[in-house]
This record gives sequence, structure tokens and C-alpha cells, in this order.
Amino acid sequence: LYVPTIVVKKEDNRHLLFALSLQVTHYKQYPPNTSKVYSYFECREKRTDPSKSRKVKYDKTVFYGLQYILNKYLKGKVVTPEKIQEAKEVYREHFQDDVFNEKGWTYILEKYNGHLPIEIKAVPEGSVIPRGNVLFTVESTDPECYWLTNWVETILVQIWYPITVATNSREQKKILAKYLMETAGNLEGLAYKLHDFGYRGVSSQETAGIGASAHLVNFKGTDTVAGIGVIKKYYGTKDPVPGFSVPAAEHSTITAWGKDHEKDAFEHIIKQFPNVPVSIVSDSYDIYNACEKIWGEDLRSLIVARSADAPLVIRPDSGNPLDTVLKVLEILGKKFPPLENSKGYKVLPPYIRVIQGDGVDINTLQEIVEGMKKHRWSIENIAFGSGGALLQKLTRDLLNCSFKCSYVVTNGLGVNVFKDPVADPNKRSKKGRLSLHRTASGNFVTLEEGKGDLGGDQLHTVFQNGKIVKTYTFDEVRDNAQLTESDY
Amino acid sequence: MAAQEFNFLLATDSYKITHYKQYPPNISNIYSYFECRRKKGSQFSEVVFFGLQYLLKKYLLGQVVTEEKIQEAKVFYQMHFKQAVFDEESWRKILEKHDGRLPIRIKAIPEGTIIPRGNVLFTVENTDPEFYWLTNYIETMLLQMWYPITVATISREFKKILAKHLKATSGSLEGLDLKLHDFGYRGVSSQESAALGGAAHLVNFCSTDTVAGLLMAQRYYSCPMAGFSIPAAEHSTIISWGRSREKEAFERVLEQFPSGPVSVVSDSYDIFNACKNIWGDKLKERVMERSQDSCLVIRPDSGDPAETLIEVIKILEECFGCSLNVMGYKVLPSYLRIIQGDGIDLSSVDEILQKLADEGWSAENVVFGCGSALLQKLNRDTLNCAFKCSYVESNGKGMDVYKQPVTDPSKGSKRGRLSLRRNSDGFLETIEKGAGKPEEDLLVTVFENGSLVLDYSLEEIRKNARLRDEESLEPHDVEVVRITESP
Repeated sequence: LYVPTIVVKKEDNRHLLFALSLQVTHYKQYPPNTSKVYSYFECREKRTDPSKSRKVKYDKTVFYGLQYILNKYLKGKVVTPEKIQEAKEVYREHFQDDVFNEKGWTYILEKYNGHLPIEIKAVPEGSVIPRGNVLFTVESTDPECYWLTNWVETILVQIWYPITVATNSREQKKILAKYLMETAGNLEGLAYKLHDFGYRGVSSQETAGIGASAHLVNFKGTDTVAGIGVIKKYYGTKDPVPGFSVPAAEHSTITAWGKDHEKDAFEHIIKQFPNVPVSIVSDSYDIYNACEKIWGEDLRSLIVARSADAPLVIRPDSGNPLDTVLKVLEILGKKFPPLENSKGYKVLPPYIRVIQGDGVDINTLQEIVEGMKKHRWSIENIAFGSGGALLQKLTRDLLNCSFKCSYVVTNGLGVNVFKDPVADPNKRSKKGRLSLHRTASGNFVTLEEGKGDLGGDQLHTVFQNGKIVKTYTFDEVRDNAQLTESDY
Repeated sequence: MAAQEFNFLLATDSYKITHYKQYPPNISNIYSYFECRRKKGSQFSEVVFFGLQYLLKKYLLGQVVTEEKIQEAKVFYQMHFKQAVFDEESWRKILEKHDGRLPIRIKAIPEGTIIPRGNVLFTVENTDPEFYWLTNYIETMLLQMWYPITVATISREFKKILAKHLKATSGSLEGLDLKLHDFGYRGVSSQESAALGGAAHLVNFCSTDTVAGLLMAQRYYSCPMAGFSIPAAEHSTIISWGRSREKEAFERVLEQFPSGPVSVVSDSYDIFNACKNIWGDKLKERVMERSQDSCLVIRPDSGDPAETLIEVIKILEECFGCSLNVMGYKVLPSYLRIIQGDGIDLSSVDEILQKLADEGWSAENVVFGCGSALLQKLNRDTLNCAFKCSYVESNGKGMDVYKQPVTDPSKGSKRGRLSLRRNSDGFLETIEKGAGKPEEDLLVTVFENGSLVLDYSLEEIRKNARLRDEESLEPHDVEVVRITESP
């Protein structure tokens, strides 16, 4: 058996090669005697295209994820002679030409000991800010390194992902809060109503960590363990862990018993976890039969003996989400008669609950809670799991995340610059130096062209010449992103 | 050796920590498989298998269990579940009995294979009866295969469309592998995804700006340089000159890169004005000075992708003229080309090339850039990727197992031990229930007990994934006829 010797170089992601190829050549393209390039990031506003009516508006975004990028990729000594050499060789082959700015990077290595001479100012992490406002700015601090601002664009724009996950997750929290309040009169358990099932459905381990941490800004239930590692390493919490889970079955732990032994599987599993909530997927063969006959009759006595702290949580996993949830509730309601709560909605006995974790996205979530309300079921009965829609089915276009140059200094003169394509006014960018302010009524406004009074600027310097100068704990992030009563 | 700081014990869905308590007693073997389930109405009938080697080398190879990692996991899970449910003893046994290497066997089809939906792509089983629970512990990680498979598949679908139009309007496929440039680095969710997605695109093409993909191909697939790019402008390098100096900005790019192709984004203010009055007039001579090897590639970046392109090409025709190729289609002078990198996906690229052809233009004139549609706008449901247990052994007896939800027959899984063979008609098919003949099985062992058994190079993978003749040929008539595989 041939076993090849695998030599995999120690992985070091902090390399010079995280720029897009085209950015490698930009140092030659800026106007001569340019000594500063200043750029900013926003989630552009988009005037809705009447042909596509979006159900969810995403008027405001949650700012999150910059600290991860700064710590992991930008801080400290990011340039070494070996990295310059590696980059030079790679780019020579890649462009079939010598275009790499070896001189520029060597300058940074020698003058700054490989630290990046840039300054980044940003809104506090967790801030909820309306679309169309500046969220962070980046500028070069050394006249020789004007080209550096946009070299780091590619890596910084990837902040679209944690921002978008956190924003979309928070919008779902609003929906859940609204319906929970209406059907139960309180928000108990809200933090556990949307569980992250997305680990397997994201594009990589790194994405899983970032995305799962972004969801935990708003919720506390997750199976994507990677997210907790990101929070611990890059943000920190006062509690030992920021996210929790419960024992749960998967199809293999049911089907491994054989088709005729579903009841034995259920019984075995429920007995393994007597004192904590346990979730059991029940659709391997026939969800309705499982609910009615197995849970509702054969194993009923085991269920009713469980405490309110250790319910059985039944998990359907196929079929139309709303129809399945309603039918499951109806069957369970017959076998485990519900009580009416103070708001007049039905609640199953505390030892039995439902979790819907298939096909859940922000739109189906809305449909399901609305459907339950119509059928007089309280949202206390249910929790949701979301995978692909929570962590993967998102793009940079959802919130129009964009990084643009707005100000340069050439020949000692500052110039406000912008793009304004004739064919798309939505793509117009802001001009000049920017600052973010709160108005008297508490709204946010971005002032352009250096007109803002910096005393009131909500953007704070977080990164300066290779050092992180301001950090946020995850508790602060969660605090900033909390729902307010007007949100539900 | 798999990544050192990465804790394999923490790289799974939380609930899987609790599964060792849920399987039937005396279970000794769990065998699972991965497929891209068939789904009625899906536009993708076949997939490109790619990316497993990366996962094996990065996360599964060698010693993945250490005492430190066991301790870290134990402490973590205690807090995460608010109880002790982590199976510390079993992990320690892997450490003691197997030096921390995974007693797992993975068999897979060769990377780069093109295979119809609904077939087994790889299988996983434990090689030591004590560690039956390990097979599905690694499901979470292995299911992420959906990503490189889906990117490679979509990238190849693009290639089919491009090949079809290129062949029809120019008579040859020259330059096909540079026709779709990866612009997706910024729009993807992480650096790691950029690397993996970028590499998957390079199975089919050689042009990319996603540098991370090049390194991935180098480190995990033995390819020293898998893709190429050209100097190009971005908006900041144009607008930093100020609105009234767009011409100077353009000129600067041309003079900085006199040899080799160069791409210049031209829509900062008015793409049509830029083409007509700057490129087509003020800088016309500078443009015409360039050769085919150092051509100017004009980039629009806003407006309706098809209409903008048509209008741009018409303006350029007026200013620079064109010639007819052997198929009778118009081609701009060889020093001038266009790249459309905004709003490109499978349907818009087909639409654009069709419109160009209808107006008499060859596909040789245009190159495409694609960002999120290539690397981000996809998910596990795009190809219905699933990992399911199909066979177990308990008390010495084997049993075929499966799910078959009455609420969704398409979610039914395969039964028993699986193999893959080419039938007498030459088509790939999966044999279930252990009925396949071992000598016909196309699944080969790639990983066993911590060791990599096979090592594919990108070169081999590219060969396996190349377009077949019928995917790029067109009938000789001038009218472009859609072939059945196009979406």
C-alpha cells in the first residue's frame, strides 16, 4: 500500500496574499504624488426595485466582526522577508510579469517592523445602525503607503458576512419576540427560540466559526461549536460559555435500530436523558404515526413523568414546514391536552414541546408563527432550528455592503472623490472624510466632506499602525444589539 | 499532519456528543455515505467531485487526538450542556490504542469525476468496533464537501455555456479556460471559503483574482500555479484622480502596463462617455498602439449587464471598427476586448452571449468575471448534498438501514453497503445492499486509519473534469441552438 509522504507547510493565513490579484497592481495606478487614500464601508441603501417586493426590509444593520478580522489578519507584524519573497514569487508566476510592489512592502517591514501603517475608525460592535451610514473608515498614515488602504479592502469587505448573519438573525428575533409577546404575554425563552443548525451547511470551518458567533449576538442556542471558540478567542464573555445545547437524536441514531424498532430507539434515548431537555427527530418513517402512536400512546407514560425542565422536544424534519407543524401540534394536542394561557392561547403540557428545524428561514419563520397564532397555539410550544438560511444563504448583496474610496491627498491637496455611474444611482458613493453623528431625535446621520464635528463622531479609532487600540467584549456587543420595545 | 491548534473534538454539531448513548447496544459498525440527491426539477443533473483531499489533509490526517484536546473538549462540553455528557473515555482509547489517529476508512470516487446526481460519492465506516460512533461524528465536517463540489459544478456549467457560444460564433474553443474570471474573494464568507471555492473554480478555468485559491491548489493539490490574472484598475484608482481627470487616470494605467493585457473599469461616472469620448477619441491612438498580447479590456460595472454590453460594443465598433471571423461573426480589433463582471450568473451569461450572437457578435469579444454567483450564492440545497447511515452491524449481524419519511420521499436514503460501477451502457450507477461486485467498484480507499492512501494532483483532476465533446459542439449551422444540458 503506497502511503505518500505528505508535507503540508504550517498554515499561516496571515500572508500578503489576501488581496485580490488586481489590487497588487494598484500602487502604480493612483495619481502621482498621492500621499493618502481614505476609504469607508457602508451597507448601502437601496431604493427598492418595484418589480421585486422584498418581504423583509433590513432597514438597520448590526455591526459585528471587525475585531475578529483585525486580530486574526491585520494586527502586529504581518510582513516578514519570507512573506515578501513568497508573494514576489507567486505574483510573478500569476501575472507572468514583475508587478508586485516589493519596494513598498520592504519599506513597511523596515520602517514599521512589519506593522501596517493604517488607521481604522469604526462604530462600536453590536451597534444597530440604519442603512446608508458609514460604519468604518480606513486611511493610510504614511505618505509612502497610500496604496495600503485599498490593499486591505478585500479582507475588510468580508465583514459583510458577520454583519449579515447578525442582522438577519436579529430580524428573526424581532419576529419571534412579537409573536411570543402576543401569544404568551412575555419574552421568556426568547434567547433559545432559534437554534443554530448550520455547521454542516456552511462553506468552511472558518465560516462556521464567524457565522455562529454572529448568531450568538442575538441568541444563546447553538450546535455550531466553532462559534463559541471564535467568541472566546476574539471577544470574551463574563460567562464561561456564550452558547448552549441539549442532547438530541439524529436520523442515524434512530434508523440504526431498524425500521421496526423506532419505538425501541425512542424509548432508549428518552431514558438516557431523564433530567434535561431531549430532542428526538421523529420523521424517519412517518412523523404523524410517531406522534400519534409511539409518543402519544406507547411511550406516553414516560413523557408525562418528565419535568418542565426536561421536556421531550419532538422534531419533525420534512414536509411543508407550516403544515407539518400545525398537524403535529394538532395530534399532540389530542394526546396531551393543552391548557389555555393568560392570553387565551393553547400551551401543551410543560413536559412536551416541538422544534422545527427544517426549511426555516426568515420568511417561513414568519409564516409558521403567524399560522400558529391563527390556530390559537402559543409560541411557547415551539422552538426553531435554522441551518443554511441562518449561516449560508446570504450574500453581500443582501445589505449592499460596499467599501469605497472617498478622499485622497495628492500634491498636498485633499480631494473629495466618489463614483456616480450614470446607469445606477444606487451605486453612488459618499464624498470626502466622513463622520457619524446622532441627531437630537436619536437618529443617525453621516456627514460627508469633512463637515462633521469630530467631537460628536460615533466612529472610534480601533486600529492604529498595527495595534488594536479599542476592543469590545461579547457582552458589550450583545448589549448594543439588544432589541428595544419598538422592535416588537 | 492535520492542523495543530484545531481541536477535532470540537469540530462537530453539539448533539453528536450525545449520540454514543443513543445507538442500539452492541453496535460495532456504522457505515455511512455521501450523495448529491436527485431532485425533480433541478437544473443540475451531474456534479463534479472535488475537495475531499483538502479536508483529509487539513483536518483528518495523522494524530488528531491529544490529551490537551480531550481536556479542552471535556471542560467545554460540561459548560455547553450544563452536564457531563462528553465521552472522554472513548476519545482516550483512541489516543492510547491508535496514537490519536482516526480508525476510519473513507472510500471515494476519484476527484474531478463527473457523476450523475443520486449516486454514492464517498463512504465512511469505522475500522475498530469500539469506535462505531466516530463515523457520524465526522458527518458535520465531511458534509461541508457540499461547497467545493457545488462551486466546481457551477463553474463547469458556466464552462459548458461559454464553450457552446464560443464554438458556435468562432469555430474554436481557444481561450475558453480564461473566459470566466473569479471575482469572488470579497463576497465570500471567509478566507478559508475563498481558498476552497477559488480552488474549485480552478478545476475548470485558469483565471482568477482569488489568490487564496492558488495557494490552496499549491498546498493541497500539488499545483505550483493554478491560475493567472492581469493588471486591472478598480474604482478607487480612477476616481482618486478626480472627476475631471478620468482620461488621465485611464492613460496612467495604459502607460504603467505597456506589455500584457490590462483591464480598466470605465463606469465611474458614465461608461458610454468613457467609451466614446475617452477610449474612442482622446486616447484612441494609445489604444490602437497596443497589440493582441497587450490588449485593453474595458470593464463596465453597472446598469443592465446585457444591454450595457451591447451598447458598449456598438460604440467601440463605431470608433475602432471590426472584422468578420471564419464563422461570419464580428470581432473587435485584437487590441480591444471587454470584460463584464457585474451581475453575472449562469442565466445572464447565456443571455448575454445569445444577445451578442443575435446582433452578429462573436463570443471572442467578451470575457466574464463572476463573484458571488460563483463562490457564495450557493448552499447545500443547490445539489441536495446529504450524508446518511445506510448499514450497521450489531451483535455480529449486519443490517441495511435507511430513512424514508412519508412527508418527503425525495429525502429517502440508500440502503446497505454501496458500490459504484459503470454499467454496460457506460453510465455510472450505485449498487445498494452490498450487491455490488468488488472488482467493479469505482470507489477507492483514500483514507484509512489516519493515513492518506491516494494523492490527486490538480492536473489529474482537471483532466477528469474536462468537457466532453458533446458539451461544446454545436451543429454547423449559424443559428445557435441550445443544447439540452444548458440551464
